[in-house]
Amino acid sequence: MLAPRFWAAHLLALVLVGVAVGLGFWQLGAWQEHRRLEARDLTQAAPLPLDDVIGPDDPFPGNRIGQPVTVAGTWVGSGTVYVSGREHQGHQGYWVVTPLAVGSADGAALPVVRGWVADPADAPDPPSGTAELQAWLQPPEGTGQPDDDPADDVLPQLRIADVIQHVDQDLYGAYGVAETPGPGLEAASLEQLPQVDALTGLRNLLYAIEWWFFGAFALFIWWRWVTEDPDATAAPGSAGQRADEPSGVGP
Amino acid sequence: MKNLFNTYRVLATIVGVLLAFCALVAAPLKYLATEDSSLQRFGESASILWVAHGWVFMIYVVVAFLLARRARWTIAFTVLMLVAGLIPLLIFWVERRVTHKVRAENPELVGPTAA
Repeated sequence: MLAPRFWAAHLLALVLVGVAVGLGFWQLGAWQEHRRLEARDLTQAAPLPLDDVIGPDDPFPGNRIGQPVTVAGTWVGSGTVYVSGREHQGHQGYWVVTPLAVGSADGAALPVVRGWVADPADAPDPPSGTAELQAWLQPPEGTGQPDDDPADDVLPQLRIADVIQHVDQDLYGAYGVAETPGPGLEAASLEQLPQVDALTGLRNLLYAIEWWFFGAFALFIWWRWVTEDPDATAAPGSAGQRADEPSGVGP
Repeated sequence: MKNLFNTYRVLATIVGVLLAFCALVAAPLKYLATEDSSLQRFGESASILWVAHGWVFMIYVVVAFLLARRARWTIAFTVLMLVAGLIPLLIFWVERRVTHKVRAENPELVGPTAA
């Protein structure tokens, strides 16, 4: 069994077991990560300056859904849009979204959900001037729902690629839900809180167990092969005649 | 002992169908269909069957291994039996090979229900 011609097989067994154990730990890590994120509700956390959480060109930080942020800037009133299909106390209505240019008036803007209205016609005039507010940070929506009329200011979802058609500057890859609604508006509630699918996490755990099982199985095969008559593997054709079948294999 | 052969055939069929569905239907829909279309979402939710495939495959591996030991097949053929559960459609052919092989070489393993 220590002869050089068997080394490849030993090495293969070692690699298989190592790979299976490693992949198992990888899945276990993913499972634990899911559980950790699931336990996280940031909405009550202390607010952070927007810049500390996301930059204008950054992808949305996945662990910051619902993070309260403070942001100061200039309203881009002309970029106001209405997002349809939003429920408020059982009524269908619209989110009123106005981008807030962060820093200078032509800087990158963060779309801010200022509040909710039943009908865009009832919405107060968009704000102007500067503002400083606190908002819950949300990742942009993207349900793939097409905007049936791109020319108007009603959107089916808060997608950055749609909102950007209504402003002249860059937008953040996120939006904020104002904690206090603008004058004349009802408060909008958070759509997205971290809700990690329990099944997704469980799936990783099941995969981890599977990998370790296969690792153990590879180890078992290797052990059987080592402890067996080497002639059986060297001359496969004679395998059918072997009578020294070790006991303890079958059920 | 006859049950081992029948169990193998049943498991091979389940693994084969699950793998073929996951690899040839669910996965292409999940990754290739238009993002968030109903087909794509179907592919995404159907992908949970990968877990089922994995767990049935674990049982399949043990049963296939025991059968291969019992019939004293070569390592190469045993490995082929095991790997067949991971390559779409291969297992259906392997299952036929196994069935022929068992009937030809180890008729004592064939139960009356499998004949």
